[in-house]
This record gives sequence, structure tokens and C-alpha cells, in this order.
Amino acid sequence: MTAEPAALDQWYVLGAIGDFPQGQSSRRLLGTNLAVTRAGDRFTIESNGPPAAVRTDYGHLWTTLGTPARPVFDLPESRESDRRAVYCGAVTVRASGLRLIENFLDLAHFPYVHTDILGTEARPEVAKYEVEQRRDVDELWATKCEFFQPKAAAASEGGQISRYMYRVVSPFNVMLYKTPPAAPDRWDVIALFVQPVEPDLSIAHPYMLVIDDISTDAELIGFQQMIFLQDKIVLENQRPKLLPLQPGRETPTRADLSSVLYRRWLKEKQLRYGVEERTDLA
Amino acid sequence: MWVPIALGRDVPRGATRAVLLEGEELVVWRGEAGTVQVWEDRCPHRGMRLSFGFVRGDALNCLYHGWEYGAGASCRRIPAHPDLTVPPTIRAKAFAATETGGLILVDRDGTGGPPPLMLAGLPVASLAIAADPETLFQLVPATPRPDPQLVEATLDGVRFHLGWHVPGPGRIMLHALVLDPGAESRALIALHKLRSEAEARRAA
Amino acid sequence: MLRLHDYVLSAECYAVRLMLALLGLAHERRAVDLYPGAATTPWGDVPVLEDGDDVVTDPGLILTYLARAHDPSGRWLPAESAAVVSRWLAFAATDLTALRDARRVAILAAPGDLDALNRKGYMALRALDDHLATRRLEGADWLAGDGPTVADIAVFPAVMLSHDSGIGLEDFPSLNLWQRRLRQLPGFVGMPGIPDYF
Ligand code: FES
Ligand SMILES: [Fe+2]
Repeated sequence: MTAEPAALDQWYVLGAIGDFPQGQSSRRLLGTNLAVTRAGDRFTIESNGPPAAVRTDYGHLWTTLGTPARPVFDLPESRESDRRAVYCGAVTVRASGLRLIENFLDLAHFPYVHTDILGTEARPEVAKYEVEQRRDVDELWATKCEFFQPKAAAASEGGQISRYMYRVVSPFNVMLYKTPPAAPDRWDVIALFVQPVEPDLSIAHPYMLVIDDISTDAELIGFQQMIFLQDKIVLENQRPKLLPLQPGRETPTRADLSSVLYRRWLKEKQLRYGVEERTDLA
Repeated sequence: MWVPIALGRDVPRGATRAVLLEGEELVVWRGEAGTVQVWEDRCPHRGMRLSFGFVRGDALNCLYHGWEYGAGASCRRIPAHPDLTVPPTIRAKAFAATETGGLILVDRDGTGGPPPLMLAGLPVASLAIAADPETLFQLVPATPRPDPQLVEATLDGVRFHLGWHVPGPGRIMLHALVLDPGAESRALIALHKLRSEAEARRAA
Repeated sequence: MLRLHDYVLSAECYAVRLMLALLGLAHERRAVDLYPGAATTPWGDVPVLEDGDDVVTDPGLILTYLARAHDPSGRWLPAESAAVVSRWLAFAATDLTALRDARRVAILAAPGDLDALNRKGYMALRALDDHLATRRLEGADWLAGDGPTVADIAVFPAVMLSHDSGIGLEDFPSLNLWQRRLRQLPGFVGMPGIPDYF
């Protein structure tokens, strides 16, 4: 499948800066092979045509195969000096990148997929939360999300009602804001940058900007990898593998409000990469 | 058409089992009441394969968000909304299924008519073989039985009932039963030999 | 005090965590950043078990050590099944490594030929399923002996995580039932990729 303009005109992550050796390495994005050349801290990226645009933001390498209308999204928390930036390692998942983002926005799976960590079967209820499309910045937000969590973060001592906010900044990039155990008045940022390799194959780059003086890096990475690999078994076994946008193909409830908004937004953008082809409109 | 897809013994109460039938993913499961169910392996909510789910009492629960499906395939509980009465339109896709002669059979297209009744055999094993049915049955002198997709065959002196289904191109899954008590272990050795021959022929 | 140097996604570390849980042994865990950090321990790769001043490395050896030193019942390493147990421990350390390597290629983009590794891994799963199918006809539920042994624990993680590289258990009915039984053991714990619900 060749990517359509809506997918081409986006910024995509290719990996953490530290993962690129000096000299040549190769990556794949939207079904296209890329040659990445690193000289010191300068990067050039080439596919078939002229060199692609390059950004190095938030410790990661970004590129585009089209002409995005906006720069790479802003992540103001990256400028707060007391936060720890933690790279959690790239993980390949045999699923549509859009399924990864949608799962990241989902609260209802916590008790079953992240049992006794992010949720417990005794308290599975998803309380009403708010969603909005911020047209000025073209972002989706879900706010006032609350969920009971037995072990919300690496440094948690016991259960708590966690408060969450979600921010979708582009079809394949999402952030989650969560109250840290150590600083209830601030937000930890957990980002998921997705590199769509093929429509049904993705590389996830989880990244954290957290307020935590207690946990070691290995503990923080271990916690995040544990959570993400718990999701992987679900992501790879959803059918169809590509995200269906056709109404009636799946069955959302009120807990899926953010997913409903996300799907509507993708439709509005006419994004098709990683989307199930409609079968009723031959 | 009725097609054997598993041995009844391999799906005990409380268990799920994933079966691939001509490229289609099915879940076979059995609740506490003991009746076997064959459904499309897909949860209507967000498409998760139900074979990864868990059986509680007489219901199958999806692993992703815990939606609970009763024996009739309708969803009866959505944990995220404990007070919600689930509309009856939310249901998994169930196929006609039956268990007879030690085999579990499914009728996916609804053309099989009344469920068949078969002579009881003693279960040996289900065996996946990388060969198409034609290649395999060239190696086994078999007599068709009136039962759907079932033959009678003698291998190394053991009398078999062999049901089968095709998971996908170039593959067959045999469901083997024997007629003589005590012959099961010998039967399994004969089946392993048959599998090697069939796969060697395919490789050649 | 037992101390395990551990990496959460490692199948070998999980085998040790599972054994510790099934034996009900209190222990402390040290997270080692194997990926992306490529960290090790002073004694080599994880898993490493410290027991006071003693240090045990190698997943199979740690399992047998725990069964010998910390299980008075002796049921995880029964003398009468010693030969069969060691055969499957060796199997876990050789044939099953194809699945471990396939998983690294599939998840972490490690170098390797995924299809070739998966083919080898599939044949290893088939060997296990054949053995368990044979055992069932003899009325036995486990790889060796009358009950679960360290052999079952050693092979369990690779079997359960084979889906990570794209191999399901559809072709292996006996393995499917065996894994269910193992998950029903008192004290059982899962890991990412091996859900708590089944
Ligand atoms: S996908 Fe099955 S409950 Fe959500
Ligand atoms: Fe999750």
C-alpha cells in the first residue's frame, strides 16, 4: 500500500537519538526504506527522492515523507529541568499503529490486561470523562479521567485513584498525563510515539518525562516495558488488524468516548494508512 | 456442511481453544454446563480474539475489557459500566456446533442439516500436518463413512476413525480416534509415522 | 535472603520468578536494564540468583538449585524422574532457544532470520506436543513424573511466549491443555505476554 497525503504530511519518529550510530543505518516508514546518515549530531535522511526533512526533538529523530502543515508538536514539559527523560526502548508490534494509539487511550482494559497494577477486577468501572477536539491546535484531549489503580507507577506504595489526561497530537503520537506518586500537584508525561512501518506493522517508542527521585532507570524502564508488553498480546490479536472506521464494525460504549472521537478525527483527516478498507463501498 | 474441528477431549470444561478453519479463526469453548460452543474468534467490542478469553461458570469473558458472553453468544455484562443493562443486539457470532463420536463439529454455513450422530471412538490425538488432504489420503487407504468428513482407515494394524479439517492451504489437521480399546498408544506412533511420510513427500 | 537479578521481559528470568512463586519463597529483586541498556550483573547475564554468599547463574541450574535447596518436599525434582527431567532441561537450553531468538528478532529488532527461527521453534513445540500427547495416553499430565517438575517450569515460558514471534498454539492441543494446568497451580504468576486470566 502506498501512503496517502494525509499520512505522508505528518512527522514521524524514527528512534531515540542514542540508537543511531555514526555513519549509515536504515529505517522503514510507511512502507518506504530510509537511509539515515549521522555525522556527529547532524542527520540526513534519504529515500528515493530528495533528502527528507529532519528534526531532533525530545531526544528522538523525526522525519516526514510529505509536507506537514505544522512543525513537530510542542512538548513543554521537556523544558522542565526537574524531570527525568527516560527512553524505554523500541518495541515492534504486528498491528496497525492506529490500534496502538487507540489502546493507549483506553481505560477500560486496565483491570484485565494490567491486572493488579493499573486496575483490578473488583473496580472495573470507567467514570464519565470529557473529550474535546481543540481545533486551533488540531489536537484531541480527554480530561477528568479517573481510575482506581493498585500500583499506578514504579514508585507507588499502594492503591490510589489516579487522575489522567490524554493528548493526541497527531494520528500516530499520543501523550498521557498522570499524577505522580511523589508530586500530586503535577503531571508525569508518558508519551507513545509510533513509527508505522507497514499498515499492520509498527514500532512503538515509549518515552517518559517523569518526576521521580526514587526509582532507578532500570526500574522505570522495566515498569513501562511491562505495561507495554502486556498490551502487545491484545494489539496483535485484534481482528481486523487494521482499524475499522466503518460504523457498526465494532461496538463502542461510553467508556470508549476518546476512541470514538479519535476515529472521527481520522476520518475527517481522510487518513487511511493502517485503516481497514471499507468493504461496503466497492 | 458439518466439519470436525477438534476432539471433544481436548476442550474440557472451562477451556478455550483456537481453531483455524480454512483461514477463518474460530474459538471452541466449553462452560461448566458442558455444552461445547463454536464462535467466530472475535469480540464484537474491539475485535479481540475470544480464544484468549477466560471461562467463568457458563460464560466466556473477553481478555481485553472483560465483556461477558453467555452460552447464546449474547453479551450480558460490560464491566466498565456495571449498572448498564446490555442491549440484546450485542452478541458474538455463534455457529451451529455439535459433539458426537468423540469429535466436535461445526456447521459454519448452516447447510449441514440436522446434527449428525456418529459411532463412538476412543480419542488418540489431533495432529497438524503440513500436507494437503489429497497427498495425505494417498498414503492412507481409507474407506469413506457416511459421516461428514470422516473416513475409516487401518494403519499399522490399528483401526481408525479419522476426521479432519483444513486450517489453510497445504495443511490438514487430523482428528484421530480408534475403535479398539488399548490401541491408543500404538495408534499415536502410527500417526506420527504417517505425518513424517506425508511431510517428506511434500518436501520431495 | 534470596536476591534475583531480573529483567522483566526475559523468558529465562520469568522461569525463575515463577519457580520462586510456586515455592512461595520471599526474595528481593534487582531490575537490570537489559534492553535498551544492555546491562548485565557482576556475574554475567540475567537471571542471576544470590542466596546469601552463594551465587547461581544459568536458568536451568537456578531452577534445580531452588528445588534442591529450598523445597523440602522434593517434588519439583523427584529422584525417580531425574533422567527425564534433565532431558527436558537440556531441551529448554538448546531446542527452545530458537523461540527465544525469534522473540528477540520479532520484538526488539535483533538481527536474525525470523522465518528460519520460527520454523525451528515450531518443530520444538511439536516435539513437546508429541511428548505430552503420548504421556496423556499413559494417564500422565506433566513432562516427567506424576506431578509438575522443574522441567515443566523450564519449558513453559518459551511455549507461552511463542505468540510474540507469531506462533500460536492452534496446532498443539496437548500443549494447550498442559499450559492451562500449569497456570492453575497454586502460587502461579504470569508475566507480560502471559495474562493472569485464562
Ligand atoms: S474487545 Fe472484547 S471486551 Fe473489549
Ligand atoms: Fe494498556
